[in-house]
Amino acid sequence: MTIDELRRRIDTIDRQLVALLGERASCALAIGRLKEAAHLPIYQPAREAEVLENVQKANVGPLDDAAIVRLFERIIDEARRLERLAAESRTER
Amino acid sequence: MVVVMQERATEAEVQAVIAQLVEMGFDVHRSTGASRTVIGAVGNGNGDPQLLEVQPGVQEVLRISEPYKLASRTFKPDNTVVVVGDVRIGGDEVVVMAGPCSAESEDQVEATAAACKRGGAKILRGGAFKPRSSPYSFQGLGEAGLKMLRAAADRHDLKLVTEIMEVSQLEVIEKYADILQVGARNMQNYSLLRDLGHAGKPVLLKRGISATIEEWLLSAEYVLAGGNTNVMLCERGIRTFESYTRNTLDISAIPVVQKLSHLPVVVDPSHGTGRRDKVAPMARAAVAAGADALIIEVHCDPDHARSDGAQSLFPAQFERLMAELRIIAPAIGRSICVEPVARRGWSR
Repeated sequence: MTIDELRRRIDTIDRQLVALLGERASCALAIGRLKEAAHLPIYQPAREAEVLENVQKANVGPLDDAAIVRLFERIIDEARRLERLAAESRTER
Repeated sequence: MVVVMQERATEAEVQAVIAQLVEMGFDVHRSTGASRTVIGAVGNGNGDPQLLEVQPGVQEVLRISEPYKLASRTFKPDNTVVVVGDVRIGGDEVVVMAGPCSAESEDQVEATAAACKRGGAKILRGGAFKPRSSPYSFQGLGEAGLKMLRAAADRHDLKLVTEIMEVSQLEVIEKYADILQVGARNMQNYSLLRDLGHAGKPVLLKRGISATIEEWLLSAEYVLAGGNTNVMLCERGIRTFESYTRNTLDISAIPVVQKLSHLPVVVDPSHGTGRRDKVAPMARAAVAAGADALIIEVHCDPDHARSDGAQSLFPAQFERLMAELRIIAPAIGRSICVEPVARRGWSR
């Protein structure tokens, strides 16, 4: 494949990633609402550890496990932030 | 802020820190490194960073922003110029404040003020309420001293800076002085600083004898937070292991403070050294390093001064120093009392 073809492939994958990240975030928001109803804290360390373990198991390279963990730590950070913002806007209302 | 975990921190310890940051209202960015985990906290959380420092597994907590806001250059990028009548402190001109340690008599104040004016000072300094290390030393003349200083300042077209030691003196001192000086020993007298935040006169805030630059700027923050934006920071020497000089004048504080803050920096080479023969070299260094103003002790008869005689310049020494400073200042693009002779004999 040429550089242009590879770059177009990357662009397509990025769009899929963004769509998937959005879907993942929607799930996190839904969980946030359920957590609030059940009076559970936003930060659930055991669950975050489980998520990181899952993604490492699923990893087949060429990224190493540590790189996968770093990437998913960012995704988890953003999910936590989204839950906090949503919880705040609910209490304001 | 950034929380750096120890190399051997356990996952449970990392999680405890994250839980606390989340509870404080921060957004957390966790970065698990090869040897240690770093946790970034961003957003408008509330809480004492020191609480995190004592958590198990925490190596250190780094603050990213300064704890002072109004005094910070981030808050106000342009230099603050404190305007006292026709005198501007913090502009291109280096302003010199000079005068006796304390007002002792009509004659002493008058002779000294005349000498300071002759040298090119714009502001007369002089104490009426003196914070002395010993309670048995001369404590100042009080309001009588203020009257002498004001009258001499007016006769020679000088502004007046004098020290305020406690809030109860504010009313009487404000009647006579143009600038209120907070001494080194009072730098962390927060109730005084808070009250000066509502005062109608500029404040000259001396650095405490063992104050860090951050503590000094936090003290300025107290005055600024009260609404008084006219604050000048005065370096006057800090206590070090060296005992040859009375204090060690921290020349490096000038560029450091000018980078961190927008407030004018004043240097006191008299208290900074405590010895007359060291005053001129330190004054020259201060101007070369970028000080916005100097405050120098001059006495018409230092050998008979009732306080700080050893560090007071003779009038002739002061005039010689001013002549030297007039050569140094232009080298860094500044001026210093442009026309001392033309202004001689002015009165208001």
